[in-house]
Amino acid sequence: MDNNKFVEVKNLRKVYDNGHEAIKNVSFSVKKGDLVCLLGPSGCGKTTILNILAGLLNPTSGEILFDGKSVVNVEPKDRHIGYVFQNYALYPHMTVLQNVMFPLIVGKNKKSKPEAQKIAEKYMELTQITELADQKPGNLSGGQQQRVAIARALVQEPKILLMDEPLSNLDARLRLKIREEIRSLVKSVGITTLFVTHDQEEALSIGDKIILFNDGVIQQDDLGENFYLEPNNYFVANFVGNPVIDNFKVTKTDDELQGTDFTIKLADLDESRFKRSIPNGEYLLSVRPENIVPASDGILNVEVDDVELIGRERILKFTHDDSQARSLISLEVPVNHGDQVNLKMRLDRVFLFTPDGERVY
Amino acid sequence: MKTNQKKAWLYLAPTIIFVTLFSIYPILRAFGMSFQSGSLIDLTWTGFNNYKYIFNDPEFWLAIKNTLLYAVISVPVGLAISIMLAWIIFDKVKHKALFETTFFMPYVTSTIAIGIVFRYIFNGDYGMLNFLLRAVHLPAPDWIDDPAMSLTTIIIFGIWSSLAFNIVILMGALRNIDPNFYTIADMYGASGKDKFWRITMPQLVPTIAFLLTMNIIGAFKIYTSVYALFNGAAGVGNSGTTAVFYIYNKFQTVGTPGVAMAATVVLFLIILFATFLQRKMMKKIGEN
Ligand SMILES: Nc1ncnc2c1ncn2[C@@H]1O[C@H](COP(=O)(O)OP(=O)(O)O)[C@@H](O)[C@H]1O
Ligand SMILES: [Mg+2]
Repeated sequence: MDNNKFVEVKNLRKVYDNGHEAIKNVSFSVKKGDLVCLLGPSGCGKTTILNILAGLLNPTSGEILFDGKSVVNVEPKDRHIGYVFQNYALYPHMTVLQNVMFPLIVGKNKKSKPEAQKIAEKYMELTQITELADQKPGNLSGGQQQRVAIARALVQEPKILLMDEPLSNLDARLRLKIREEIRSLVKSVGITTLFVTHDQEEALSIGDKIILFNDGVIQQDDLGENFYLEPNNYFVANFVGNPVIDNFKVTKTDDELQGTDFTIKLADLDESRFKRSIPNGEYLLSVRPENIVPASDGILNVEVDDVELIGRERILKFTHDDSQARSLISLEVPVNHGDQVNLKMRLDRVFLFTPDGERVY
Repeated sequence: MKTNQKKAWLYLAPTIIFVTLFSIYPILRAFGMSFQSGSLIDLTWTGFNNYKYIFNDPEFWLAIKNTLLYAVISVPVGLAISIMLAWIIFDKVKHKALFETTFFMPYVTSTIAIGIVFRYIFNGDYGMLNFLLRAVHLPAPDWIDDPAMSLTTIIIFGIWSSLAFNIVILMGALRNIDPNFYTIADMYGASGKDKFWRITMPQLVPTIAFLLTMNIIGAFKIYTSVYALFNGAAGVGNSGTTAVFYIYNKFQTVGTPGVAMAATVVLFLIILFATFLQRKMMKKIGEN
């Protein structure tokens, strides 16, 4: 009965029949009532994990505990889970009300029609689809279908709600609106929720915490801001952040980081931020665009290829080492296409990675 | 706009010509001939005489009765068995492809050939069916040579031979149902019965409507299977005669095309009415 580990996954592995190892030794836990985002690029194993949690797939090895009890050998229907599929999978031949009632009127513990309808109506009100009761899903917009799917997932009053990219079928504006609604809905119901997305911004805005996956491995399991401020590795630094982080190849010598056209003295770095002492050699220096900005005492002289306005900020794009890099500045600073600028890095905010992605600074 | 329209007619012309020539003209011609008497080369107008003749002909009524009974029994029973088998294969069987091929075999084999095989299976004395029936101490009727059994035999054969096409089409429809529908139902603890009646059947309605139409029209046109089962006759003493048998007989054997065409028009109207009825019915079911 450890509420901090309401859902606990230990050393989970999944090898598909074709030999593909989709999940490689994954362990994490979810606090009761939390909304946790499983974030990662397409194909990293997010759906696989949800299906294993739901009991639709058997893990190859590992342990899954809900509220302290192993559920590995428990049937999906007895796991007290609500699952919102990526394509919603609403029953097209049923009305909205019939769809939402469906979980209540089938199986062993089926309720009487009036009783089921009462519960269904409660959740339809909560998801604001009461007026749509008699419509068929085919007549509904993506956002409305989404709500029906959520209402249907909630009527059995499950303990855990799984949502697989619930917003990916919606247009951008609706996505913003619905993600806030989803957050306030699951918080008001108090249900522990795992929310899968490949959109980092969505994860940052909605999640109490985020678990970032790549290639079946957890890259970072943390509060949203830490993905930004303290990324675990090169992948995390590059996956999270908009505009994306700038990467520069550097060579470490005894007292310098030597990049193409710029040099950083090791003495200027913050000694305490080094994770370990590192040998001389090749490294990657990564800087968030807002931490590399024009200044009179800049160390890197570049020509601005392009300027993009985003709201109250400007992105300066420039080419370095044959790849594009960015600097994020305030709208007030007048810089134009073709200008020469000197860029200065905030050295207490840069990251240093080994060539295989380990963070060392 | 104008030139477009001209072009459209040009493209449609072959179809229009074919449909007129091979569908509309024969219908009109049959309708006309039903009011004429004499042989094909010497037709004269005779008013409603052909209709009077068939309505007073007990053999015509037997043919219509047999045809209706055949349609009303073999189509729903055949379809129900098809749905059951298709569902079992879909739900339970691993190597579906092999099964499907097996089921499709009768469809691509000629009815005549299968009918002849069934003649042997149904044979009262040495047929396999009666051998089995006797083995389990059930009555072993004379399927082929007892006039009272003719229609039953035809219906059994009709049901059996409708399975192939129905099952293949139904399997296709079953495969088209989103597997997530069942996955979700499983998660909610739905039983097999729940899933079949609340998901599978409603999803199959359009396919069943299609098969019903095809089967009913096919049933009203039954001829070949009777011909094959009873070695070219319509059962002992014409006991198994059907509408098309009657028409063919009046046209070819008796040589009264007018009478045959009057019967054709009646059959046509019955099919039209049946199709209309079942469309209305399926629409009602589809709405629920
Ligand atoms: N049934 C399967 N058999 C083999 N490989 C699969 C199967 N399902 C998914 N995969 C593979 O496993 C990986 C993870 O898939 P998935 O969990 O669906 O990713 P995500 O949801 O993060 O996009 C992918 O590389 C995918 O191709
Ligand atoms: Mg997925």
